[in-house]
Amino acid sequence: MRLCAKLTMSFVTIEKVTKVYEADGESAAVKVLSDVNIEIVEGEFVCLMGPSGSGKSTLLTIVGAMNHPTTGRVLVDEIDVYGLADERRADFRREYLGFVFQQHHLMPYLNSLENAMLPLATASMSTKEKRERAMNVLDKVGLADKASRLPNQLSGGEQGRLAIARAIVNEPPLILADEPTGSLDTKTGHEVMEVFLKLNAQRQTVFMVTHNPENSALAHRIINIVDGRIA
Amino acid sequence: MRISTIAFANLKRRKGKAVFLTIGIAIGIGTAVALLSLSSSIKEEIGSQLDRFGANIIVVPQSNNLSLDYGGLSVSSVSFDVKQLKNEDAKNVLDIPFRNRISNVSPKLLGAVAVEGRDVLLAGVDFESELTLKRWWHIAGRKPENEQDLLVGYEVARALSLIESTTPATAQHVSHGGSHDPAEDKSQFKIIRDQLKVAGKDHNVAGVISQTGGPEDQMIFGSLAHVQSLLNKPDQLSLIEVSALCKDCPIGDIVAQISERLPQAKVSAIQQSVRARSETVERLTRFSGAVAAVVLAIGALMIFTTMMGSVIERTKEIGVLRAIGFRRTHIIKGLMIEVAVISVLGGVLGWGAGMLASWFALPYFAETGVAFEFQPLLAIVAVAAGLIIGTVSSFYPIVRASRLDPSEAVRYV
Repeated sequence: MRLCAKLTMSFVTIEKVTKVYEADGESAAVKVLSDVNIEIVEGEFVCLMGPSGSGKSTLLTIVGAMNHPTTGRVLVDEIDVYGLADERRADFRREYLGFVFQQHHLMPYLNSLENAMLPLATASMSTKEKRERAMNVLDKVGLADKASRLPNQLSGGEQGRLAIARAIVNEPPLILADEPTGSLDTKTGHEVMEVFLKLNAQRQTVFMVTHNPENSALAHRIINIVDGRIA
Repeated sequence: MRISTIAFANLKRRKGKAVFLTIGIAIGIGTAVALLSLSSSIKEEIGSQLDRFGANIIVVPQSNNLSLDYGGLSVSSVSFDVKQLKNEDAKNVLDIPFRNRISNVSPKLLGAVAVEGRDVLLAGVDFESELTLKRWWHIAGRKPENEQDLLVGYEVARALSLIESTTPATAQHVSHGGSHDPAEDKSQFKIIRDQLKVAGKDHNVAGVISQTGGPEDQMIFGSLAHVQSLLNKPDQLSLIEVSALCKDCPIGDIVAQISERLPQAKVSAIQQSVRARSETVERLTRFSGAVAAVVLAIGALMIFTTMMGSVIERTKEIGVLRAIGFRRTHIIKGLMIEVAVISVLGGVLGWGAGMLASWFALPYFAETGVAFEFQPLLAIVAVAAGLIIGTVSSFYPIVRASRLDPSEAVRYV
């Protein structure tokens, strides 16, 4: 079902996106994003940078089909993400997106192999096939020998790589990463960035939010956002 | 890996909470099972006791009555074409298809006799069946043992100066209905004369029936064969009292079967007695049901609260699952599997605990050592109830969990 976009065609289109968090009893309405327009082509590695509170993470969750924009639309592979019904949007996330969180958010009660397999839990394929795919991605991120370990038995860098393994097990065309090295020291941060570069070298599109100029220097393109506007 | 793998892994991880919930459901189900099991056993006991206490079917000779009205004045009704009941009719009552529902047959012959210058109603009875039937009788003295022995009603005994008032300590009472509790004896008298001339013949006063307020206060009871001889009515009966075990059986059918077997008799059910029995049993069932419902409602509330807490605690986890492509229905399925496992386990444990509790408790609630009933059907009901209570009370928290906004859930941490 995936449509293969041409290299020069936009794979991700963020079109006039605005996000306003409505006022509730305790706080006034906050406009987080204003008229954001971004285009990302397939195979591109794009870093989104900006100060805290500039709307980076909000934009990432909007591209990640998790946060409805107030106005505007998001197209991924020509699919209007927010035109999909809620359950279809969940399918879209599973099919198209791999999400890497800053805190990794691994399941502490599942071992590395099971964590990597997690997005396949709802897929209609045999357990054997699921295990093979999970072992492949663990191998890709250099954790094949730690498949039976629980997350708390892994180092910070290994946890980061495991989070990436979980994000790519479905072979999604777009990887979204929210400060994936934010909680890591420099050395383990480099380990994680190497995995992203390797994936990108295999034509995986990466859209990463980061504070780290060293990381952004590795990207094809850097987009700066300030006060919810593209600078 | 499947959704169930995640559910089971979660249960293993949160063992304490799973055990707590399981115990909660088990207590709720166990209490309900124990109450229902106890009430069922006690219901059986009360039913059979009530059925044994007194007759609920009366068999009298068939006759035609004619009420006469002469010149605007009512005169006594005239009975004619009176059929006779015989000794063998009492035995024939036990020949009906529903004979296994009949607990007691008490034949009687009634007649008036002269006793020391007074006319008294004399009843010939089979003492064994009569005393089984009239369990509320308290007898001062002893049970009749031979043909010359009589039981005398309280009012007759007083009129014939057979008894005199005394203190409870000196009263000699015999309760034939099981354990004898002196505190229950309201009449305070002792027998001062144990010889009585009835129809010109000497008899022994074996015992005096304490005052009941019923017709027996005005009667003298002797053995059936002896009274038939005294009244010169050999083999004849005035009526047959039948006690049928009719807690759940159609008394109308038994009446019809006896009528068919004894065409010369008129058979009637004492509807009031039957209604009173079924009402008592129904009230007990309703009370047990209400208590069980309250306990289960408390259990359901506990599951609801725990599941709400669990959902809040797992906001991040649910958010991550939604973010990586789990549908709402997948989240619901995973949480439902967890609840179902806990509920089924709680139901099974509750059933076991409830049955065990009722087995231990039954001797303290039932008087006559009614048999403990192992009810496998109750196991199915208990597990089903556990499952229903678990899923219904978790439904809202689970649906709420499935509706978590993934971006909010992930941002929550």
